[in-house]
Amino acid sequence: MADETMKGMDHSEVHYFNSYNHHGIHEEMLKDEVRTRSYMNAIVQNKHLFKDKIVLDVGCGTAILSMFAVKAGAKHVIGVDMSTIIEKAKEIVEVNGMSDKITLLQGKMEEVELPFPKVDIIISEWMGYFLLYESMLDTVLYARDKYLAPNGLIFPDKATIFMAGIEDGEYKDEKIGFWDNVYGFDYSPLKHTALTEPLVDTVEIKAVVTDPTAVLTLDLYTCTTADLAFSSPFVLDCRRSDFVHALIAWFDIDFTACHKPIRFSTGPHTKYTHWKQTVFYLREVLTVEQGEQIRGVLENKPNEKNKRDLDVKISYQLQTDDPTRQAQGSCEYKMC
Amino acid sequence: MSESNPSIQKEAPPSSGSSEASDILDLKDDEGWEDAEPDEEETQFISLLDDEVFTDIMSMLNHCKDKHNFDFLQVRQRLGLDFYGSIKLVNYIRTQVHSGHKVTSDVSKEAFEDEKFLKPLLEDDALLFSLDELPDVEQSQDNGKGAERDSGELVSRVSELEEELRMMQTQFDNYRATVKETLDERWNNQDTTEQSSNAKKEETRDDDSHYFSSYSYNDIHETMLKDAIRTDAYRDFIYNNKSLFAGKVVLDVGCGTGILSMFCAKAGASRVIAVDNSAIIDKARENVFANGFSDTITCLRGKIEEVNLPVDKVDIIVSEWMGYCLLYEAMLDSVIWARDRYLRPDGLMVPSHMNMWVAPIADPDYVSDHIAFWRDVYGFDMKAMQAGIHDDAQVLHMPASTVCAEPFPFLQLSLHSTTVKDLVFKRKWEGKLKQDIDALDGFIIWFDSFFMPSREDIVPQDAKAEEWAKTGKRGNAFTTGPNGTATHWKQGVMLIENTKTKPESRKEGEQLSGELEYSVPEDNSRALTVGMTWKFDSEEKENSQKWNMK
Repeated sequence: MADETMKGMDHSEVHYFNSYNHHGIHEEMLKDEVRTRSYMNAIVQNKHLFKDKIVLDVGCGTAILSMFAVKAGAKHVIGVDMSTIIEKAKEIVEVNGMSDKITLLQGKMEEVELPFPKVDIIISEWMGYFLLYESMLDTVLYARDKYLAPNGLIFPDKATIFMAGIEDGEYKDEKIGFWDNVYGFDYSPLKHTALTEPLVDTVEIKAVVTDPTAVLTLDLYTCTTADLAFSSPFVLDCRRSDFVHALIAWFDIDFTACHKPIRFSTGPHTKYTHWKQTVFYLREVLTVEQGEQIRGVLENKPNEKNKRDLDVKISYQLQTDDPTRQAQGSCEYKMC
Repeated sequence: MSESNPSIQKEAPPSSGSSEASDILDLKDDEGWEDAEPDEEETQFISLLDDEVFTDIMSMLNHCKDKHNFDFLQVRQRLGLDFYGSIKLVNYIRTQVHSGHKVTSDVSKEAFEDEKFLKPLLEDDALLFSLDELPDVEQSQDNGKGAERDSGELVSRVSELEEELRMMQTQFDNYRATVKETLDERWNNQDTTEQSSNAKKEETRDDDSHYFSSYSYNDIHETMLKDAIRTDAYRDFIYNNKSLFAGKVVLDVGCGTGILSMFCAKAGASRVIAVDNSAIIDKARENVFANGFSDTITCLRGKIEEVNLPVDKVDIIVSEWMGYCLLYEAMLDSVIWARDRYLRPDGLMVPSHMNMWVAPIADPDYVSDHIAFWRDVYGFDMKAMQAGIHDDAQVLHMPASTVCAEPFPFLQLSLHSTTVKDLVFKRKWEGKLKQDIDALDGFIIWFDSFFMPSREDIVPQDAKAEEWAKTGKRGNAFTTGPNGTATHWKQGVMLIENTKTKPESRKEGEQLSGELEYSVPEDNSRALTVGMTWKFDSEEKENSQKWNMK
């Protein structure tokens, strides 16, 4: 069944969907407490919003959010997912006695037929690494435009990407410098590739040298897929004198429709999430003094060949009066 | 409770809220900012003999001729330098000038013979990229002068030229192989597009493309290279047995980044052919070049069964083909094929022996974290998720303390004689509990790899790699078992389906035995199915279960 639907997709796409069939990823997501508890609180604590409503769960996975919505009093929930995990979701919904409240559909959002022409609420956990990598946001936006009733709600409804500069000499050496000498051989051809691959990893808060700054805010009620290719200027204020080896990015997620707004962050200053942070190593090391600024532009667009890959470009300039430390450059990355 | 509401914990970043908008506005108002982006870069040629910079190659070379009386083109002509020779000359001059020495027009070829001069001194040296824009070297220049030379000089010149010709031929062969490969690739691609247009008619199964493409990223190679247990073992065997490699022709099957090929070249191999069907081969080729082994190592992209090797036989096959549970991904089939086709009758396989082990485990912590977990997920019953856990083998490094009976050596593969038939098998095994356990939770499988310097060397089937070196035996060995440092292979973990009936506790000293079976599923030749049967002596019925690796 799944294999049937996947015919005609290119290989990387098949791999993307298949990778979600392994239970490991679902276990990791469910065990990500910051993520799952935020969704639970946003839904279950807002029974007044969910009572008797029709809810659509985009990319429902194990159907945990759909079941939260039923618990919050929803009249009916439709869960849609591409992956074969939907078979498990059906079993789970059944043993939890919610089969009459939840309809689960396997397929692409663009292709499935919903039992309701309009829905009152869309819930979705669509975020990928760096917010947008392998994200399902385009699918959520499609569902919004096609199915969300006027004045309908979206959970969550706001996402913000932040950036900061970090000191990371030791790890950069381990990850990037490694290729300079591999068992006595020069592996610099792979060093170049390593520099273009952003790293998804946890960053300690003490490594952060600059104030964070927001580079992109998406309002899910109004944004369009065109907004996912963007070019945003940023300014990072250096909080202490140090070196900057990399810029990092993370995101915050808001459920503003809640009675008491709920927000969670995937930044280095707060609890671990499975999204960690995304690290972009700079080719050179910036030597910064407290009070100086790193100014730059973050550009992001889906790769033309494989739209699930992202092409990211960061240009930066250190604003300093000291001519010996002046630095500027631009680095291109590919998330694939 | 703060834990139940992460939003409260979170300190809003200082620039969030209204200030974020003003940041962006500030930046837009800053008129000077536009200019901060560098203009399109112009190529810069740094003079060979001083610091001056030029925008084209000829003005730079003319500058050297006029100001320093050094005519690069004339020197290149006099010495009859080929492309690589010219690269070496450039880097030699830059090295000399950099360390404050002078270089004059009468520089001799011997001065920059060393391969190290293939490595650029300057980063992004534009001169090196533009060498092929220079006029060609005329080969006939020596004709007139020849008569004046004595015959000895002529003979040495002839052998010099012969050597040069041989080198050029090797390079040309490599080049031709690369071109052929590229063309094959293109034709193959065409084939597949044609195929897919009438895909309905004939669906050919493809077990391989994901396999090969999964090896085209850096990450997996970093993991493998940083697996020091693995990489050190190959390095130590090759470097400690240089006499085995000196002057030999080596085939590296599945070369990846080329590390094993370079070990062999460094150990004195006269020729190494490195084959890989992943896009990583391009990086291997660059690595080989950057390290000055282009004349020794030939990198070919393709399946070993399909590429045309430039030699008929090889003296040594080196390969790192081992997969999870040793045989997952089925690369050994290709290595065996390569052995039968290319290895001389007296040739050597590196590594030479694999001993495979199985042991029962009891790990209540793992079971509660990953299996019992699904009983109650945020108040919901998700036991449906448990099912698959027991269908697939997991890859995990298990603490030695979870092993509850002596490991059993169930099979040895001797790489000099193993055939593809030997890779699907059914073997008996047995064990005796060395501790009391609440439940038998599963089995783990691992392998020990042995590197022996001669075909005649024998490795006992129950030899443990972790004890091999300590007992002063020949060769090298490493283990991927729970008693050794974790490797990227970890162990294959087969968990017993214990969720339906409550498992019995067992006492130290209880005996168990059974059969272990490796088979290849019909629908994917790169996958692996492991079947186990087991029975405690006190039990009446035999238990059995199968696990897939895919």
